[in-house]
Amino acid sequence: MIEVPVINNTEKFNSATNSLVSSTKEPLGGKLKLIFGIFGILSVIGIISLILKITTVGFDVKSGWGYYAAIVSLLLGVFGTAPMVAIAPTIAKADWHRPVSRIATMFTLAGISTSILAIPLIFALPPLVVGGIRRRSIWFDANIYTPHVFFGIAVIGLFLVGLGLLWVTSIPDMAIMRDHSSGWKQRLGKSLSRGFVGTERQWISLRARIGMMGTFYFMFLIFVHIIYSVCFSLELVAGWKDAIYPMYHAATGIQSGVATVIIGLFLFRKYWKLEDHIRIDQFWALSKLMFATTIFWFYFFICAFMIFWYGKSAINEMTIAILVNGPYMPVFIGTLLLSFIVPWWIIIWNPVRYSPWMLSVVAAIVLIGSVLDRIRLYVISWQVYSDEMIHKRYIPLDEIPENMIAPSIFDIGIFVGFISLGIFAILLATRFIPVVSIWERHQSILLTRHIKFHRTEVYAVGKPD
Amino acid sequence: MVAEKQSKFKWGMAIDIDKCTGCQACVLACQAENNIPINTEDNFKDARGIEWIRVERYWEGEFPDVKAKFIPILCMHCDNAPCEPVCPVYASYHTAEGLNVQVYNRCVGTRYCANGCPYLVRFFNYWEPEWPESLQNQLNPDVTVRSRGIMEKCTMCIQRIRRGTRKAKRDNNEVMDGDISPACVQACPTEAMVFGNQKDPNSKINKMKNDKRSYTLLDHLKTNSNVWYLAKVDEDMDSHSKEGGH
Amino acid sequence: MQQRRQLDEKQINRELLNGNLETPKWYYPVMGVLGVGVLIGFATILYMFNRGLGVTGLARPVYWGLFITTFVFWVGISHAGIMISAILRLTQAEWRRPVTRAAELLTVFSLLTALFFPLVHAGRPWRIAYWLIPYDWARGIWPNVRSPLFWDPIAIGTYLTGSTLFLFVALIPDLAILRDRTTGIKKTIYSMLALGWRGNPRQWQLQVVAGVLLSALMLPIFVSVHSIVSWDFAVTPAVEGWHSTIFAPYFVIGAVHSGVSAVVTMMCLMRWLWKWNNYIRPEHFDALARLLIIVATAWLAFTFLELIFSLYGRDAPEIALRELQMFTWPWNLIFITFLLTGYIIPVGCWLFKRCRNNIAVMFWTSILVNVGMWLERFLIIVPGLSRKQVFVYTWEGYWPSPVEWIILVWSFAWVSFLMLLFAKFFPLVPLFEAKESQVFTTEMKVGRATVPMVIRE
Repeated sequence: MIEVPVINNTEKFNSATNSLVSSTKEPLGGKLKLIFGIFGILSVIGIISLILKITTVGFDVKSGWGYYAAIVSLLLGVFGTAPMVAIAPTIAKADWHRPVSRIATMFTLAGISTSILAIPLIFALPPLVVGGIRRRSIWFDANIYTPHVFFGIAVIGLFLVGLGLLWVTSIPDMAIMRDHSSGWKQRLGKSLSRGFVGTERQWISLRARIGMMGTFYFMFLIFVHIIYSVCFSLELVAGWKDAIYPMYHAATGIQSGVATVIIGLFLFRKYWKLEDHIRIDQFWALSKLMFATTIFWFYFFICAFMIFWYGKSAINEMTIAILVNGPYMPVFIGTLLLSFIVPWWIIIWNPVRYSPWMLSVVAAIVLIGSVLDRIRLYVISWQVYSDEMIHKRYIPLDEIPENMIAPSIFDIGIFVGFISLGIFAILLATRFIPVVSIWERHQSILLTRHIKFHRTEVYAVGKPD
Repeated sequence: MVAEKQSKFKWGMAIDIDKCTGCQACVLACQAENNIPINTEDNFKDARGIEWIRVERYWEGEFPDVKAKFIPILCMHCDNAPCEPVCPVYASYHTAEGLNVQVYNRCVGTRYCANGCPYLVRFFNYWEPEWPESLQNQLNPDVTVRSRGIMEKCTMCIQRIRRGTRKAKRDNNEVMDGDISPACVQACPTEAMVFGNQKDPNSKINKMKNDKRSYTLLDHLKTNSNVWYLAKVDEDMDSHSKEGGH
Repeated sequence: MQQRRQLDEKQINRELLNGNLETPKWYYPVMGVLGVGVLIGFATILYMFNRGLGVTGLARPVYWGLFITTFVFWVGISHAGIMISAILRLTQAEWRRPVTRAAELLTVFSLLTALFFPLVHAGRPWRIAYWLIPYDWARGIWPNVRSPLFWDPIAIGTYLTGSTLFLFVALIPDLAILRDRTTGIKKTIYSMLALGWRGNPRQWQLQVVAGVLLSALMLPIFVSVHSIVSWDFAVTPAVEGWHSTIFAPYFVIGAVHSGVSAVVTMMCLMRWLWKWNNYIRPEHFDALARLLIIVATAWLAFTFLELIFSLYGRDAPEIALRELQMFTWPWNLIFITFLLTGYIIPVGCWLFKRCRNNIAVMFWTSILVNVGMWLERFLIIVPGLSRKQVFVYTWEGYWPSPVEWIILVWSFAWVSFLMLLFAKFFPLVPLFEAKESQVFTTEMKVGRATVPMVIRE
């Protein structure tokens, strides 16, 4: 066994604490007010677009809500799934995620966008009983407003659990803010940390709460993905039966979540000057996740495609016409390229994975691919829906529309505006919550070591249970 | 496919359910013509009976208003056959003349084609078939006797089709509608079954398949079946009754 | 929870080689019993080749029954190897070390056994043996590339090749140790196999690189093999309950569940039979059980999704099938048993730390899991075929005949026999991994606590 020397970590602790506490102050210079202003204005544009859409388009013209549904799905994937990058490695007891987890968890604040956007969609979704007949649904014989109510509860619940997760994982940092800052930050830190002083019992209870919140969040997330993907697109197309669809939706959501965290990590590292805390290790590990989730996109897609292509029954032909080679074929090709072929081909090269900015470029490509993917799935579903067609066994090939619909100006406004609203909420939080969690940084300092091993130096990680 | 476009023939069959009496003459004729192994009662109990064409019987109504409906089911020779792409050794494939054929000497007996067939018209030889001495002279020399381990199914009496087309070629004639008929079509006493060339515009099969009573089984699977059924006309009902899918 | 002990090299060598340098007392009796089982099995297979498939219980419309179930089952078990050696190696999990070789071995032998079944179940096995090799053996006809039954041997063959390579590359250092401790004919054979291993830094580096490369290359195979096997079923629209898009990941995760449980069974046996208590410790079972909880829950989620989506379309044939599969005797009993043994009882036990660290509990629960997983495959294949489409008198039952049961038991005897045969000549726990784990793990003091520490590669 190698002898590991005992060292005094106080110096490192203090410097980490100070640098991270001060990162909540003006990191961008005077530009911060400008950025807040821009995002604020865009958010207001988003809200106005939403109101205008509801009043002008109305809830009866279903084809007008396709892009809207795609946006909500995108936000669920991008903002809703980002915290999984923090939760999953925690359960797996990895060590690289420690500097990343706060940024990942903060994306739940952007869930405010998803929650607001979900509500009009509940009214737009056709009820379970249409034209006097119950349409096909995984809710079988439930109450006719079932998916709507459950979806609303699920999305808002996800947001609330996310807030809970964010709070629970930042309690020690609140305590540090209480002890190391002044003014409103000190007062807020005092009330949010609920008397946390770092006794052993408090730590044990905190860990238990984090574990529970994380698991809860994961379960809620999967639930939301299943309900949303099935009730808001699969069920609207008569005859589309695809058991892998919710998993595909969740897996591609994770892909966009990882991509979002990579971009967020890159930007925060650069502009909040966190190079000491966020190192190449984090990007290296995230790149492997990005790689794996990109392949998963392809795998889940092929699983579905193989069955539809080989089966050649009327339902299978209809499904392929809707999803692949019908009116949205250009969008499908774009997705195939940007969600799989291009990112995969770039990310297999090691130099890309060692470089934060190159990885962010790949992540951006993946995000654009995700946008196209959601458009491909949701816009056609809402476009082919009609009260008469929904009860048929399948939609005949000649009834499938020939042309794509373009997004309306309100859809674009909502897209830009609500993403800005999410980012605005996150930026607002960084004024108070340190972007890299201080207590986890302390953990890394305590547990990771470079030790001499024969003639070389190795990197060792302590793994307490 | 190019070969299909070039062929003069596309065989099809139509069965008028209204005329079918369920007498099973077609079943017997097929068994005699095609060297099908003898089906004993035990075979049927084991569900291993081989019937290239079978007559299904559906009861409707309560006594005393009971009705029986008969529908002979045979290989549909689907253009989009689910049994064809799955055979690993190409024992099951589609000819240029529109028939789905089973190549006995290529078949290795994986039985994947049977799983793919939704009409359940493919049969496997679980045992080596045996005929008593006296019946061995009855075997048709134009048809292979299959050994165990091999799949078999209706071939639209391809031996008769070949004989008819070769005869026509030899005599420098055209094949006329009605010249060639499989054993079941020939045996049917009510002439409920019609066999012919769909590429011949005047053939009876074309008239029957375009009849307003005509339908194919399990449409939604889009097998593009080449066997049409003409629905039974039931005076007691205002719409025609259909069997199989809905 | 950390139970590492300080072991020196000589002790490791002596203990892990105790099966190879001398034969344990139980070895020959056990091999005798297994050998008899294997011979009976082969005799039954030959009987079936002679008489025809009529000796099985197969009939119309159930053309695939126990043989294909067992085929899928063994392919499933083979996924343990990749999971443990490749994925855990790439994620640098320390607790994989004692089991990598046994898992890879299980993979190789279960794949070999799995390949038997498509041969055995065919009507003319003497033809299928070579007509599926990509070559035009007869009349210029190549195999049908479009058929999933052609993809199967390619996928399984690739997996088999990769696993064998992996197994061999990891075996070389241990072969060298055996070469240096034997004499005569054994020494000659070990020398040939050890390929001149000297243990210098360059060779170790090459060996590590080879291991990492093989791990990465095998990962796509890990996912694709069982996906391809699942597509045997999923691509046919005619069978209700089969034509579902979820089959591929469902089968893959079921395979991981089944395979890792089989590895747990094997680990228990290894610990008991060769007394390797220093190397296979309760902490390994604890880690495996926690992995299994996640895998099993994901598997349950997929099962649930498959069921929901089959019923969601309200197709009459599909509903008829599910009624048979879940509510009609004897399938309702099989269904409940499968749920209980595949998930409820095992995961119920594994949630408790005391159970996870108890070897006997882990042994029995892992066997239960595999019983459940075999039943799962049976439940997917046979009811689906029993109730295909709604035609008259084409709904039939199926029960395997004694011949089929004997062949099922034979497959277990065969795999066990092969593994024990291997264990006689080669160590089942990699010696170099045991020694590496001594070096790569250490302890550090953090405040008043002593925390185990792992060196990152």
